[in-house]
Amino acid sequence: MKQIKKLSTIAAATGLGALLLTGITGCGESTQAPQEQEQAKGAFLIIEEISEGKYKIKDEFPAEETRIVLKKLDGTEKVLTKEEMDALVKEEAAKIDEGTSNLTKEQPAEANAGGMGLGETIMASMAGAMLGAWIGNKLFGNQNYQNNRKASYKSPSTYSRSKSSFNKSRSSKTSSTKKSGFFGSKKRSSSSHRSSFGG
Amino acid sequence: MVTLQQTTPLDPSYLESLGFVWHTDSDESSYISDRLVCITEAEAEAYYEATNSLYEMYIEAAEYVIENNLFHEIGIPFNLVELIKESWEHDVHWHLYGRFDLAGGIDGKPIKLLEFNADTPTALFETAIIQWAMLKQNNLEEESQFNTLYESLVENFKRLVVLEEDTESFEEQYEGWKFLFTSIKDNPEEEQTVRLLQHIATEAGFETEFAYIDEIEFSNEEGIFYHDEPYELWFKLIPWEDIALEESDLAMILTHIIQNQKAIIFNPAYTLLFQSKGLLKILWDLYPNHPLLLESSFAPLRGQKQVKKPIFGREGESVSILDENTQPIQSNGGEYDNHKMVYQAYTQLPQDSEGLSYQAGVFYAYEACGLGFRKGSKILDNMSKFVGHLVK
Repeated sequence: MKQIKKLSTIAAATGLGALLLTGITGCGESTQAPQEQEQAKGAFLIIEEISEGKYKIKDEFPAEETRIVLKKLDGTEKVLTKEEMDALVKEEAAKIDEGTSNLTKEQPAEANAGGMGLGETIMASMAGAMLGAWIGNKLFGNQNYQNNRKASYKSPSTYSRSKSSFNKSRSSKTSSTKKSGFFGSKKRSSSSHRSSFGG
Repeated sequence: MVTLQQTTPLDPSYLESLGFVWHTDSDESSYISDRLVCITEAEAEAYYEATNSLYEMYIEAAEYVIENNLFHEIGIPFNLVELIKESWEHDVHWHLYGRFDLAGGIDGKPIKLLEFNADTPTALFETAIIQWAMLKQNNLEEESQFNTLYESLVENFKRLVVLEEDTESFEEQYEGWKFLFTSIKDNPEEEQTVRLLQHIATEAGFETEFAYIDEIEFSNEEGIFYHDEPYELWFKLIPWEDIALEESDLAMILTHIIQNQKAIIFNPAYTLLFQSKGLLKILWDLYPNHPLLLESSFAPLRGQKQVKKPIFGREGESVSILDENTQPIQSNGGEYDNHKMVYQAYTQLPQDSEGLSYQAGVFYAYEACGLGFRKGSKILDNMSKFVGHLVK
C-alpha cells in the first residue's frame, strides 16, 4: 500500500523534512515581500463639451498616467497637455480658495443647467483629485463638492462605474458594498478539534 | 488489548519551534502521548479500504439528501441550502480534506464508522507532522506509518486547479489565483492548523496569504478581499453551521459570491452534509446492516445500548451513552443539549491496560492517506490525548 511509508523516504520526498527542522512559524508569516499595492497613479478622462463652455465627464478609467481627452462641440478631439491641465487645476484651486468655484457651492445653477466650466469638470473627476492632490483635502470633506461632482458626470452610471473601477485599483475601503468584521467577537473554539464520541 | 511502544517524549520547546503550540492541556498534562500504537500492515490496509468505501457511501448519501430535499431532516440550516446545491453541482468545489473517526480496526475488532469530520477537521498537525517528529526524535527513521497526509495534501491542493487525479499539469494550468487562509482570532490551535495548510499550499505552488476572519471584506458582486487585494480561493477553518446561525449575513453574501463565481471556498458548503450526524441515519437507510456502519436513528433505538449525540455537536459535548432501556449511563453536558439528536448503536472501543479507549482518525484527501489515534475515557472530549502509531 503506497500510503505506508518510512520517515526516511517521506522526509526526502516533500517539504516535511524541512518542516521538521524549522517548523511552519517562519513561513506562516508569509515569506513573500508584501505586495506593492496596485494603485492607479492616474486616470484616463474623456470630457465632452455639451454646450458652449459647459462640460461633462463622459468616461473615466484608472491609468498609469493622467490623460484628458476633450471632445468639443464641433466634434473635434483634443488631448490636453500637462501644462494645460496644471493651469486649469491651479485656476480652479484659486477659485475654491475665493469661494467662487461652483464645486463648493450648494446646488449651483450651472450644475443643474447641465455642465460646468472645464476646470471645474476636471476637478470633479478622479483625475482632478489626483492632479490637484494638494487641494484634495480641501475638497473631499466638502459635501457640496461631493454632490456637484456626481452632477458633473454625464450619467449616474458613468459616475458609479468610474467610482467602482477606481475603488478596485485604489482602495476598496470606501466601497459601501463590502462587509467585514464577521465573528469579530468570537473567541471560543469552533472547529471539530478532538470532537466526537467514542463509545 | 492495544499494543503500545514507549518512546522518549518530544520537548515542548521543540514542538513550539515547529508551530505546534497546544502541546499541554489545561491540567498541565501533555496532549501528545509518549506511546505509539503498533498496528500491522493488514490493519493499515483495512483502515485504508474502509475509509475509501465510506467516502463513496457518503457521496451517495449526500446525493440522496439533495435529490429528496432532506436538508431539514438532517438539520441543515435553510440559509445554506442554495449554497450547498450550488457547490455540489460543480467540480471546482473540490473537497480538500476530511477526517473519519472510526471505532475498532485493531485488537481484532471490526472497523465501524463513528462520524466524518468533513468541514473543519483538526488533529491535522498531530497526524501529518507530530507523529513523524516522534519517530525522528526516537531514531525510528526506518519505521513506517500509514501516513502520507502531508504529500497527499500537496497533491490535493494541486487538484483544486487541475480537477483530476493526475497533477502533472498544475504549473501549466495555475493562473496565479491567490489563496487566502483564515481562522478566528485568539485560538492558537485553529490558527496554526490553518497556517500549516497555508504552508502546504505554498509548497504546492499557490500564492497564499493568512487573515483572521474579522479582517476580511466580503462583497456580493466583487468577492473576497484582504487589504484591498482580491482572493479567488478561500480556506476557512470555521464551521459552515456557525456561519449560517451566527453570521447569517455572511452566509447570504457567500451564497452570492459563489453564484457570481467570484471565489471558491474550502471546504465546500456540501461538506456540511457529510458533517451532519443526521447523515448517519441516511447511510443506515441506504446501506442497512452494512459491516462498516452502526445502526443509527433519529429516535431512540430499541433494546440496545446506544450513544445519543447532537447533529452538530463538537468535542463530545451533550453526548450520552444510554442503556438498553434508553437510560443514561454516562453523560457529558454541553451547549448542544437542545439540538436535534442522533441515536447510534454503541460499540466498545479498543482499550489499553489502563482501561483507556482508543479511537482511530483516518484522514481523507482524495483517498485515505493518514492515521492517528486519540485516547480518553469512553466519551472522548476536549481532554483526550493524541497517540501516534507505527506499522510493524
